[in-house]
Amino acid sequence: MQILLQLIVSGLSVGMVYGVIAFGYQLTFATSRTLNFGQGEALMLGSLVGLTTLNFLIGQAIGTFWGYMLMLPVVLVFGAIQGSVVEWLGVRPALRVKSESGWIMATIALGIIFRNLAENVWGRDALKFPSPLPEASLNLGGVRIQPMEIAIVVGAVVLMAAVEVFNRYSIYGKAVVATSNDREAAGLMGIDTRRVVTFSYALSSMSAAFAGVLVAPVTLTGANMGAVLGLKAFAVAIIGGLSSGVGVVVGGLILGITETLTGYYISTGYKDVPGLVLLLVVLSVRPAGLFGRTAIKKV
Amino acid sequence: MSRIVWLAAIVAVLVAPYAVTSPYYLHLLVTIAIFSIVTLGLDVVFGYTGEVSLGHAALLGIGSYTAAVLSMHFGLGLWPAIPIAITVTAGFGALLALPALRVTGPYLAMVTLAFGTIVQILINEMTDLTNGPLGVKFVTPLFFDWRPYAKMLPFLDMSMKRMKEMQYFYLAAVALLLTILVINRVLASRYGRAFEALRDSPIACDCMGVSVYKHKVIAFVLSAAFCGLAGVLFAYSEQYVAPNNFTFELSVQFLLAVTMGGRKSRLGPILGAAIIVYLPNLLADIALFRIVAGGIAAVALIGGTISIVRERESWRRIAAPVALCIAFFAFALALQKITDFKLAIFGVMILFVVYYLPDGIVGFLQRLVVRRAGAKILADPALASRPEAEPIAIRARAEGGAALLSVDEVVMRFGGLKALDGVSLSVAPGSIHGLIGPNGSGKSTMMNVLTGVYAPTDGRVRFAGADIAGHKSPEIALAGIARTFQNVQLFGELSVLENVLVGLHHSYRSGFFAIGARLPSAKREEALARARAMNILEFVGLKALAAEEARNLPYGKQRLLEIGRALALDPALLLLDEPAAGLTAPDITELIAIIRKIRDAGLSVILIEHHMDVVMSLCDAVTVLDFGQKIAEGRPEAVQRDPRVIEAYLGSGAAAHAA
Repeated sequence: MQILLQLIVSGLSVGMVYGVIAFGYQLTFATSRTLNFGQGEALMLGSLVGLTTLNFLIGQAIGTFWGYMLMLPVVLVFGAIQGSVVEWLGVRPALRVKSESGWIMATIALGIIFRNLAENVWGRDALKFPSPLPEASLNLGGVRIQPMEIAIVVGAVVLMAAVEVFNRYSIYGKAVVATSNDREAAGLMGIDTRRVVTFSYALSSMSAAFAGVLVAPVTLTGANMGAVLGLKAFAVAIIGGLSSGVGVVVGGLILGITETLTGYYISTGYKDVPGLVLLLVVLSVRPAGLFGRTAIKKV
Repeated sequence: MSRIVWLAAIVAVLVAPYAVTSPYYLHLLVTIAIFSIVTLGLDVVFGYTGEVSLGHAALLGIGSYTAAVLSMHFGLGLWPAIPIAITVTAGFGALLALPALRVTGPYLAMVTLAFGTIVQILINEMTDLTNGPLGVKFVTPLFFDWRPYAKMLPFLDMSMKRMKEMQYFYLAAVALLLTILVINRVLASRYGRAFEALRDSPIACDCMGVSVYKHKVIAFVLSAAFCGLAGVLFAYSEQYVAPNNFTFELSVQFLLAVTMGGRKSRLGPILGAAIIVYLPNLLADIALFRIVAGGIAAVALIGGTISIVRERESWRRIAAPVALCIAFFAFALALQKITDFKLAIFGVMILFVVYYLPDGIVGFLQRLVVRRAGAKILADPALASRPEAEPIAIRARAEGGAALLSVDEVVMRFGGLKALDGVSLSVAPGSIHGLIGPNGSGKSTMMNVLTGVYAPTDGRVRFAGADIAGHKSPEIALAGIARTFQNVQLFGELSVLENVLVGLHHSYRSGFFAIGARLPSAKREEALARARAMNILEFVGLKALAAEEARNLPYGKQRLLEIGRALALDPALLLLDEPAAGLTAPDITELIAIIRKIRDAGLSVILIEHHMDVVMSLCDAVTVLDFGQKIAEGRPEAVQRDPRVIEAYLGSGAAAHAA
């Protein structure tokens, strides 16, 4: 029982990271029916830029904690810029020529380019990311948990809540929602839907970059950290439903916990398998995802 | 023409091992042939159905590892491995496609991407079965020992190594030629038409009884089967396979190959395969890379200049790609160590191809050299007068005296809005039933409920004795309900004849084997269907336009073609959604005559129409809807006088005045 609880707690923080990345997929899918196949690379770049900034700040004799706090805005801004670049180079031209699949290949290509550039700047090895919180585990009723794991869950929830609040209560957010509902009608109402799409990409990569600096102190960082995370988040997005905000959180938690359980009870080698299995099962049973609604297409 | 191409291909294959004596380059040719099998298969999915697969490298791996398992654990060699690997890989294809294609969107790409990663992990982990990361060795088989015939074959190298290489080359080449042949035949068959149709208009495809879902799955499974074949050939050609042969990057390369070579052609994917096989060499040698980059820049500059001079494109559209090519050349010159930036260069190549070469090299050359000639005349007049190919046939009949269609208290709710609120109606066999009402009264919603586009929230729909409410469109279509669309939904890029042939999809029986082997039964079937299609076109007065692309027809003719295509389904009930909208007066007269003929042949018709003269002159009974409710029903002249109908159309004042 103790072990099971421990596994679930460990799965929670991983699951939240998946959830945040999948949340990023949702943001862009809602406004443009496209998503960034290089989202994992956005996370990786965010994390590496964060590492460099943090090391610089620590070098300026600012403590790790305050250094981390000062680094966050830098990473968020960087993520937003990176996302805009992806949209500008990879997605906009594809949407303009109404290509069904061009954006998939273009975002993959950009992901490959970003990874290659990162390898040349930061090297191919995994790097240690200084933790802003004590690394000693807390013992809560026999369950060991790292302070940073708690920070991941809190940070992820705060980020998603902030975006939700923005979408609901600000006029810019309403433009985003309107564009999600009907891009053409929103355009006719004077909303610059192209800017909304760019904005959603900026927001999406920003979330991924944020997830990158959240997870990096617990795992390691490096040019190759992104691919697997981006992939897992695909599974989460489909399991939860590409159109459901609650879905990604629950989907992320389901996947995170299933993985730690599989890793412990079967073999760490098979840790990545349940993602695909769950993905196929959910698509067979509820194609719109556990929490998604089936859209009725009008003829 | 095509015979000459085939002959040239066969001759090229025969002499290739004599022209290419280096074992290295011969092996490269074999790899190109094997990868071509994959890319040709991928083109069926990616080019024709428009779905993206990022798992073709993994499927190739499954083919190779099936061969590995068979040879390691069962001592089975190349020949038994081929059919088994094809079956196994097709099975995996079905496992992926069946769930992933249920929803439209980038789901197949996401699922196959995940699959690709998992396959690599599993091959690594399941060491008992696959030998894990250590990989598996193969021995290239010798099929035929030609040393005893040394005197008769003086021009052949008789060393064991060379014999194996040459024979394996021939094997791979034959496999490639067979692949091309089969794909050509499948694409020319009803399947190929279905693949094209489902992209043009998925909804019309479903309503013609050609399930979009089913045919996308078929395309993917077919494509996976070719990966299985290629996988076995690849394993025995490389003589060693390991999990990292089948990476995500390879899948992306396959996609790049199809796009760069040119989608929807045979030459394109082969050209693309040659490029990706040669790519590592290109990216390993900086001098060569600079030369190629320079060449591309030169071609882009010259091509761009020509285009501007001939005023084919504006300079704005040309400037960006040309500048990019030149910048790329400059980058190549500045580059010190190419290996560090290999992947980035690969990424830039993809971007360039996606945006500036979307039709691929083949498509680009076709556009540059020749404007494509118009569609060939496919109709053979000798076929067109066969007695068994009657234009109208009916598949379902009402059970003795009962109504053909009875709709009972149907409710269709969209959120809070009830588009249909407890509507009942019944259509007698062989009658024309009008469905009228002001805009937004629920007529088209009713059509969509009847054809399975929407599943009704509540209520029953019985057709020819069976309950069809909530059934899927293709099922309902095959049960005998055909329709046309208010906003015309033709398969624009198919010819007029082919549009009708998609409607006749249900009349075919032959499967892939019969089509691939071109059995006489399959040929007969196709000929009969074409004759039937010509008769249908004659019936709706479009015979002379059979070879024209559907999107080129004038609007009125497009509506007639939709009726023809619907008739091809052999329906018992035909739903016409505003067939007269946008038609000129003479067109309308023609339309009325055609609808009468259809009724006289025994079909029932439901007619939605705003032209009251058409409704009044044709209909045996009329149902009037308003705000989702039925407000009147009966003979046309009675309905016309009904005050509630007048009120619905003209407002209450008008009703009082009429009364």
